[in-house]
Amino acid sequence: MKRRGFIKKAAAATAGAFAVPYILPSGRLFAATGAQLAEHVVMVMFAGGVRHQESVGMNYLDQSQGIPIEGNIMYNMLDGAPPTQKIVYGTDGNLSGDTPIPQILGSTIQQQGTLFKEVRSSHAGHYGGMNALLQGNTLYSQGLRQKPLHPTIFEYTRRHLGAPASKVWFVGNGIGNSTPLMNYSEHPDYGAEYGANFLAPTITFGSQGVEHLSDAKIYHPEEELDPIYQMKYFLDNNFENVGGTIETIHNTEEEKQQIKDFLKDLYGLGGNIAKPPVTDNGDLNTVGYTVEVMKRFKPNLTVVNLSAVDACHSDYTGYLSALHRADHAVGHLWNQIQQIPEMAGNTVMLVTPECGRNLNPNPIKDENDWYAFDHSDANTQRVFTQMVGPSVPSNLVIGDTGNQIGETADNCPTIAEILGFKDDVMGTGLISSTARSLFDRI
Amino acid sequence: MKKANQPLLIQQAFGVRHLFLFVLFPFLITTIGCEKDKLYEVNEETILPPNANKTKLKTDQQYIAILYANLFQTALSSDDLFEASECIQSIGDKDLVHEVLISNYMNKPGVILPTNEEMRANVDGFITETYNRFLVRNPTEAERQYFKNYINTHPNVRPELVYFSFALSNEYQYY
Repeated sequence: MKRRGFIKKAAAATAGAFAVPYILPSGRLFAATGAQLAEHVVMVMFAGGVRHQESVGMNYLDQSQGIPIEGNIMYNMLDGAPPTQKIVYGTDGNLSGDTPIPQILGSTIQQQGTLFKEVRSSHAGHYGGMNALLQGNTLYSQGLRQKPLHPTIFEYTRRHLGAPASKVWFVGNGIGNSTPLMNYSEHPDYGAEYGANFLAPTITFGSQGVEHLSDAKIYHPEEELDPIYQMKYFLDNNFENVGGTIETIHNTEEEKQQIKDFLKDLYGLGGNIAKPPVTDNGDLNTVGYTVEVMKRFKPNLTVVNLSAVDACHSDYTGYLSALHRADHAVGHLWNQIQQIPEMAGNTVMLVTPECGRNLNPNPIKDENDWYAFDHSDANTQRVFTQMVGPSVPSNLVIGDTGNQIGETADNCPTIAEILGFKDDVMGTGLISSTARSLFDRI
Repeated sequence: MKKANQPLLIQQAFGVRHLFLFVLFPFLITTIGCEKDKLYEVNEETILPPNANKTKLKTDQQYIAILYANLFQTALSSDDLFEASECIQSIGDKDLVHEVLISNYMNKPGVILPTNEEMRANVDGFITETYNRFLVRNPTEAERQYFKNYINTHPNVRPELVYFSFALSNEYQYY
């Protein structure tokens, strides 16, 4: 070997010897530098377009139907007395919806944590709003049936925390509205290899899933699955030589086996899972399966989206009912987190609607002759955020009606701060210039 | 003149040498030294592997429909096709959900598979048939050799596992 070549190779080998010990399994070079406030974060993308008036405003029918009845129908999340007249949002008793669902939590999320009473939603639509929550950005160039343009908090978590795929989950309320696209972005520096495991339990464990996925044959891991994978990898290598690749979120074979076992076990339970006491809509079922995901995988990050409130486009009574159930779902979720030893006392939960709803109704009336509401005007920019868990001040209210503090894009850097990699995320330059961690707004 | 005194034979030889120098030598140089490339009137072709022309990713519905037809040799109903594609969309790891779907199909009656004995009696034919069925092409010699060796050295490998690996392969997801 020539002298110059020898020196080059020796230098490269020395540099490699220094660098290799710091390469984590995820591929990141160095561990996250910030201190963690908690090991787990759960974010609820709350409900599918929530009017400020009926939620934090507690105006019930007063500022929507011209009926002077106020009250709080979200009493797991918010402090306030419920309405006393025209109760339509509960379960059926003598009349449809006349029996409110009992409160789950001994003290409300508001008492246990911090309420940002009015924050700004930059999007009037579901997909844009959810993308703002996940990306920490408000890209108006984002297409509806297009993967997120900027990295999501899932990718930040996997890349900068070094979390494996099975520790990052996105549980969707279904597969409509491009929901399955949101588990990773098309950003070239992030993308599929840092994506979250996505699950839409109402489909996976619904009639479709039972018919097409529940009867999976069990193959022996060494004697049967190993040969299958070996032959597949040979075929894949040949195909990769001509540029053929498939995007994958990089679950290891062990993680895949864990997820397959998880699916099999849940099919075996036949729906007897950790659902809330009342389970009469899709959101409540989705939350039940989210709890099962958390019990099995103890994810660093779990995001769940609820959407039944969007019934408000044509059914105001159904909207109230769904809002009441979304509160029930959040109460159940927080309650169940405290039952999981690895997550109890070590989890921060954030709850934010992706967008609000209009100030004025559309002409559609429901069974009670109440008007429905779409989401497109300035009132849709009025939402709220709740935060609860370790390091979160309790019983604190920030901002007020008409005094917006914070925005929906704040959730992404907030999660990054909780998990200890805020500087990495802010340093990418891909976060909205106005977005900040909510801890910086307290 | 000295030249006029030379014998006739020498004069003739001198003339032949000039003829060679000025006529034949240049002729030989141009015909031998500058031989042109032969042109056979055949188009130039870039040689690529047989799977190189598969550049389009199948949709979920295409993948399921073709998979079902390959395994059962019959078409899937449109209702089942729609439901199965929803199932694929409901799980984020596509490799994983494909695996679960295939193993469900393998558990159903009606999958058309050669027996283990048939495969081992004619491994060559089995390999060709499997490539044709799943990848719509013939195997290359290297591929044929790999699978031949693999099947012969792994007595626990049966046609179902080979079919499974083809249905799970990346190439199978393209057309």
